[in-house]
Amino acid sequence: MSFAADAPATRRGLWRALVAGPMGLAGLILVVVFLTMALLAPWIAPYDPVAINVKAKFLTPSSAHWAGTDHLGRDLLSRVIWGARLALGIAITSVGIAGAVGLLLGLVAGYGPRWLDAILVLIFDSMSSLPMIFFALAVITVLGPGTTTLILVIVAVSVPGYARLIRTQTLTMTGADFILAERAMGAGPVRIILRHLLPNVVGPLVILICMDIPVVIMLEAGLSYLNLGVRPPAPSWGNILAEGYTSLRQAPHVVIVAGIPLVLATLGFTFLGEGLRDALDPRGAGRRWT
Amino acid sequence: MTPVLHLANLSVDLPGSGFLSRLRLPVLCDVSLSVARGESVALVGESGSGKTTLARAVMGLQPTSGGTIAFEGEAVGDRHGLARLRRAASMMFQDATASLSPRLTVGYLVTEPLRIHGQPLPDPDRLARDLLATVGLPPAMAHRYPHELSGGQARRVGVARALALRPRLVIADEPTAGLDVSVQAEVLNLMADLRADIGLAYLIITHNLALVRHVADRVVVLYLGRVVEEGPTKQVFARPAHPYTASLIAAEPKPDPRRRRADLAIRGEVPSILRRPQGCEFHTRCPIVQDICRHAAPALTATGPGRQARCHFAANQNQQGEHHAMEH
Amino acid sequence: MTPAQPVPAQPVPALSVEHLSVGYAAPGGTVQALRDVSLAVAKGEVLGIMGESGCGKSTLAAAMMNLLPAAARVTAGAVRLNGTDLLRLPRAQMRALRGRAVAMVFQDPMTAFNPVLTVGRQLHDFTGAAPAAIAAMLSRVGIPDPDRALARYPHELSGGMRQRVAIAAALLMQPQVLIADEPTTALDVTMEAQIIHLLRDLRATFDGAIVIVTHHLGVIAELCDRVAVMYAGEVVEVGPVDAIFHDARHPYTRALLACDPAVVDPSSGRLPAIGGRIPDLAHLPPGCAFAPRCAVALPECQTPVPRHSPTPDRTVLCHRGAA
Repeated sequence: MSFAADAPATRRGLWRALVAGPMGLAGLILVVVFLTMALLAPWIAPYDPVAINVKAKFLTPSSAHWAGTDHLGRDLLSRVIWGARLALGIAITSVGIAGAVGLLLGLVAGYGPRWLDAILVLIFDSMSSLPMIFFALAVITVLGPGTTTLILVIVAVSVPGYARLIRTQTLTMTGADFILAERAMGAGPVRIILRHLLPNVVGPLVILICMDIPVVIMLEAGLSYLNLGVRPPAPSWGNILAEGYTSLRQAPHVVIVAGIPLVLATLGFTFLGEGLRDALDPRGAGRRWT
Repeated sequence: MTPVLHLANLSVDLPGSGFLSRLRLPVLCDVSLSVARGESVALVGESGSGKTTLARAVMGLQPTSGGTIAFEGEAVGDRHGLARLRRAASMMFQDATASLSPRLTVGYLVTEPLRIHGQPLPDPDRLARDLLATVGLPPAMAHRYPHELSGGQARRVGVARALALRPRLVIADEPTAGLDVSVQAEVLNLMADLRADIGLAYLIITHNLALVRHVADRVVVLYLGRVVEEGPTKQVFARPAHPYTASLIAAEPKPDPRRRRADLAIRGEVPSILRRPQGCEFHTRCPIVQDICRHAAPALTATGPGRQARCHFAANQNQQGEHHAMEH
Repeated sequence: MTPAQPVPAQPVPALSVEHLSVGYAAPGGTVQALRDVSLAVAKGEVLGIMGESGCGKSTLAAAMMNLLPAAARVTAGAVRLNGTDLLRLPRAQMRALRGRAVAMVFQDPMTAFNPVLTVGRQLHDFTGAAPAAIAAMLSRVGIPDPDRALARYPHELSGGMRQRVAIAAALLMQPQVLIADEPTTALDVTMEAQIIHLLRDLRATFDGAIVIVTHHLGVIAELCDRVAVMYAGEVVEVGPVDAIFHDARHPYTRALLACDPAVVDPSSGRLPAIGGRIPDLAHLPPGCAFAPRCAVALPECQTPVPRHSPTPDRTVLCHRGAA
């Protein structure tokens, strides 16, 4: 099996392919917007997100409060911006950790001794037979809600899927000529795993991670909506939605203001993931006949 | 003089697959061969002959089931011996592009052997350039990726990498496979030059007999995992002692329409290793098969100085071989 | 010794390629895979198309079947089977002809077959022939015990056997033209010899035209009556096989023949090679495509190249061709 036949995307080629498609481009822009929002929250949020000003409650969007205020007079725009920081922070951290752990375990399972592989696969299968939501609820019940618990749950639930993906890729690649060549030169397993296997298997994982970020954002929003996630008064898109829902009649703008960034962020990451997948696809159209 | 490589009674069995997994299928049987310092030995055989398995076994990529491998006089059985071998011997793979790690640059790949073996690497760029120059590639090649190389270039990068640690032995698996005729010479001439310059020994695995005539001092012919003939190239080609060797030589299509072969010396095809013939394993296709061949397996016997053949009629074959080898 | 078949005078071409040009759109520009290619093969004749990688021979073989990939564009010319231009036929009609009037045997016998159907089943489905006729054809191509072979699956047969079955499948349709694209490249030396022998034997009973596309000089020499040599998308020389091998007029043909290890005397030490690389088919030089690598190039080789006919049965695409 020849892997070099699929020309791997060079960084420049990848970038160009990504921004060439409208989906990838739109996704990229949205993601950058939200990342900026999250990173610069302390400086761009106009007001303190937890500052209560009951006199100014339920104000509709105006020049003073671009997104209006909630039932405690807190500026919604600031809350949404800080909410982005939280949402992305949790999503990226948890998925990032899960990705790293999954990558490592998958590589070891794929390239290491068969007995180790058997044990790891058993672990992965057991863990992934637990439905995510129930597992999350169970852990939250035991450890109490909060950001750390949430991250823990997400990591635990995501690792098996990532590890299995990486394991399959690694297994296929282990028999490749270039791996044999490395072994013939005397390369040890660490070098082979880190230098030769990792860069070649990580591509599909990156796409998967990207597509999982919106899932985690939704999960966090959902759990926070149920008051099982981020604890108030810390602003999360989920609990802004929850609070806004109770006052839907009086101030519909709250729900809209919380809902829009959620939808856009989800779409953004999804588009980016799809764009990446298309860009990483080895060009196979029109096989060369010479 | 101690041979660079000495294989004694090497056997490799492969486990069967599926429901045959209890069986051990012999792929290499009792193979002995030697490569002396600076010598070029060709290992010739068709599919099923076990030649690639042998190369992999020597480099430690394939576990063996019997026999010994000795490198420069010392056994390569344990981890220490294997490490020694891998520092002083290198392998060129049949698919040159596929043997290069796809996401690393050529410059990194040719210097990697030093990194692997902890050799000092004060100026990697310089070394990469020098190695590439040795194989006739421009320094700019160091920044390319394997998929950006042509077949001939990839093969030369393979040679450069094989030379990085100044090996004493290079095992080349089908070095001209997939190369156009007009570029085959580049690789072959390079290999010949290196042999002349640094006394490099080669074990060349190939089914291309024209190649063997040009680059090999001695030739070893394998059939179904056994050595059936061995000897100096010129002599074996002029007067093959084994009917299989004679058939191979006769089967080569000649690039001359005035010398078309009227008849084939060989019928049938290589038997599956699952159903090895009784007696002499070549008897099912042998043009001079006799009764004894169906029942008794011949041993490898000397047929001349430095020559051996595994045939009951090897001595007669010396005369008959003359007849087969010449064109009608 | 079998002498080469004599070249028939004024033969009726079974298949003719007329000034065919094919290109592909690619990121770097249009790649000219074939440029003004003209060839003809007559009934009962074996034409060899010889060339190295990148010369366009596989594109030509595909064009002869009208099997070009979607990305290919025929920019000029025609492929005529008994006068009908295959490239301009409506799809349904072309499909009727393909496999029947023009049949092809591919390089890799493994991928030509459906792995989940038996050989007999596939041959029957493909040709509609009765099992008896199929068995007879299998026997003719040298498969021992054809009845058992019919019940086998493709992976149970060796490469040589599969190639024979592929040839049998092609012949069962009684095509007018049989195209073999690298028929022996994937096979061992002894298998290759057998397939060459088979193809030679078939000429006694198969009256159609045979086209062999390969880079293997030995196969061409053993099988063909006439040879067309290709380089960088053009036919640089055409002639009877003996003339090509013993009196080549084009510098590329000469250089190619000189390089073959089977030809070179082992005691000479070094093997000749052709320096340089094939030109970028998207950016071809103005004159002769081979000029940058040619040992005898002249200044006028930078200008468009004329096609000479030193004898009635030969053509050479070279400024020196008239000599």
